[in-house]
Amino acid sequence: MDQRLHDLTEQLDAGLIARREFLRKAAVVTGGTAAGLGALRTLASAQPKTKLRVWLFKSFVTAGNEVLAKHIEAWAKERKVDVETDWATFGDREQKFVAAIEAGNPPDIAEMNIYGPMRYKAALRDVSKVATQLASAKGGHLPFAERAMKAEGKFLGVPRYSMTTVFFIRKDIMEAKGLKPPKVYDPDVVEFARKTTDPAKDLWGFGQTLNRSDDGDGFMSNILWDYGGGVWDKDGKPALGTAFLKQNTAALQFAVDTIKKHKIQPPGVMGWTDVSNNEAYMAGKLVTTNNGASLYYAMVQKKHELAPKTLCVLTPGGPAGSFVGSSCYNWAIFGKSKQAELSEDLIRWVEDESRFNEYVQASVGQAGPVYKARVDNPYWKSDPNFDAILQNILRSVNLGYPGPMTPAAAEVQGQKILTDMAGRVVVGGLSPEAALKEAHGRIEEIYKMRRA
Amino acid sequence: MATPAARLPVRAALDRREAGVALRRVLGHDYRLGFLFVAPIILLVLALVAYPFGYAIYLSLTRKYVGVPPVWVGFDNYVKLTWDGFFQRAVVNSFIFTFGSVSVKLLLGMAMALVLTSQIRFRSFWTGVLLIPWVAPTVVSALNFLWIYDYSLGVLNYLLVRVFGLLPQGVGWLSEPGTAMASVIAVNIWRGFPFFGISFLAAMKAIPAELYEAAAVDGAGPVQRFWRVTLPGVKNITIIVVLLSTIWTFNDFQIVYILTKGGPGGATQVLPVLTYEIAFGAQRLGEAIAVALYMLPPLAVVIIVLARYMRRGQKA
Repeated sequence: MDQRLHDLTEQLDAGLIARREFLRKAAVVTGGTAAGLGALRTLASAQPKTKLRVWLFKSFVTAGNEVLAKHIEAWAKERKVDVETDWATFGDREQKFVAAIEAGNPPDIAEMNIYGPMRYKAALRDVSKVATQLASAKGGHLPFAERAMKAEGKFLGVPRYSMTTVFFIRKDIMEAKGLKPPKVYDPDVVEFARKTTDPAKDLWGFGQTLNRSDDGDGFMSNILWDYGGGVWDKDGKPALGTAFLKQNTAALQFAVDTIKKHKIQPPGVMGWTDVSNNEAYMAGKLVTTNNGASLYYAMVQKKHELAPKTLCVLTPGGPAGSFVGSSCYNWAIFGKSKQAELSEDLIRWVEDESRFNEYVQASVGQAGPVYKARVDNPYWKSDPNFDAILQNILRSVNLGYPGPMTPAAAEVQGQKILTDMAGRVVVGGLSPEAALKEAHGRIEEIYKMRRA
Repeated sequence: MATPAARLPVRAALDRREAGVALRRVLGHDYRLGFLFVAPIILLVLALVAYPFGYAIYLSLTRKYVGVPPVWVGFDNYVKLTWDGFFQRAVVNSFIFTFGSVSVKLLLGMAMALVLTSQIRFRSFWTGVLLIPWVAPTVVSALNFLWIYDYSLGVLNYLLVRVFGLLPQGVGWLSEPGTAMASVIAVNIWRGFPFFGISFLAAMKAIPAELYEAAAVDGAGPVQRFWRVTLPGVKNITIIVVLLSTIWTFNDFQIVYILTKGGPGGATQVLPVLTYEIAFGAQRLGEAIAVALYMLPPLAVVIIVLARYMRRGQKA
């Protein structure tokens, strides 16, 4: 009983107040309490639900995006969380991250590309606990994924999937010419492309831009490794124009020759952006090109006439082997988030095998494995073109190879120094040696500044 | 009789009154109300212009990576940029882009205004049509031109090679340094000349018809009337339009970024795109702001000189 009612009863018993007054006061107390409880209940129900801000990567594979959004929505409903979802794609994600971090208002959790944890490590939370838990449940991380997500022994991102590139070939043209898939760029790709190029029909044997783009930068990285060179040595020090000068000169010369000497590329290739080769391939203007699985997805989804005529094979190599830069999309939790545990719960939810499998099925080869157990998913045997994707992922190496992946390596990639270097030779008239020296100077400066 | 101690507050009050009178004499009797009225705009200017600008200057004097506190480096960023080959090339490209665009926009805009002031049919319709490039969003225009310029799939090569047979083979408009710069300038001209035209049109309509009649009576032909009447009549508006367009074109980011991203090989790299690349690609915010601020003093000098000239013209 309310203490005030108890006091009133005692006063009535003692004859201190009249019965009528007792009833009046008791009614006030009871009514007031009831009204107060009602108001409190209203206030309690008006309290906002826990809010979680989630930034997602808007991939070209829209069916995958829809599956992920559906999973997050289901999680929010189950956990009674108010989720605010925002999407960013290739062209605007870094701007959004930079702006949000500098404004002190980043999301709680974000889906990042492989460079994200390295670029934003100062703003990210240690997610080692959830990363190792998930890894142990899924047979462990693939080596490149673990290395890419770790900085100073801590995981800054929880690996999700790998979006690698493969070599696309027009199977119908290849068979009509009696050719076989090329294994190395020189001479295989050159010969293959020479035999299939037909300028009169605006058909080009090879389409690979060296212009400022992710596609161009990825190709330049790979070709330097293929020739035994690279940007960094095994200790993570700049080696572009020093230790690997000879190998890099040969690699750069080859890349330039595909345009200037062999003339196996379309004349406008130096003006291409990331989507240009996709468009040219789907328009039937290219016989071969390097691209991610999104190109295959686009053709399959649209039931494009070239989808069944396309063969995806391992990326060709060079004298030192065949190298492919790694990719590892991941979940990162920001240090400013007050919902770290909730964010980890969301990661566990979407990385649940049945849900992730649904995502893989919708992604038509784009969501490659980063955990050992996922390599054995029968899905990767469901289409002959998927095997090249899987094998390229398994042999992929990280930015910075043969050294560690560093913020300086991420910055060199971000500034597109390798494509600038190629462009200086193709259209700027520099010799490969001079372009390598110029690029090496820029990389040395980045290295020194990052160390400072 | 008041004691000296009692006189002091009186003296202070008198001093205050005298100061108030002096202020009223200088600023007007209702200066307090005046300050009250202008206070909001002063606060807004301080918060939205002065503070960000001051903070930008401060950041340009620091080494600032994303998510990491800034480290003071003085003028290091500016010194480094001065000797940086890529920055120097971006400065040269920015001037080529700006003056190439503005000079052609000036000529086309004048031609547009002259045509629209002449006796043509459907003048309102043509005025509306010519304004379309100006009102269309820049991003949309630039993306359309990206397709138009495409070597294999673009309509420009299709017209030149297949339809009109003017060229034996298509041109890689965005893949060669010369054509790439010309192409981005052409898009800027296409987008910007209606602003010149419509401004000149307004200025020409303000010229009294009597001046043309008097010139005609004196025997002046169309060319002389243009040089002696029209041009002096639109002189001030020309200066304003050129000044504004120079600033806008110098700071234009969207067209170059969407069409070439500064390529091929840095051939179309201009300062706004370089600023963007350093800020978001390299994530060096201090250096990026230094790039953006580097050309501010010369631009400010141009603005001051032109503004003074304009005001002198108005007084005359």
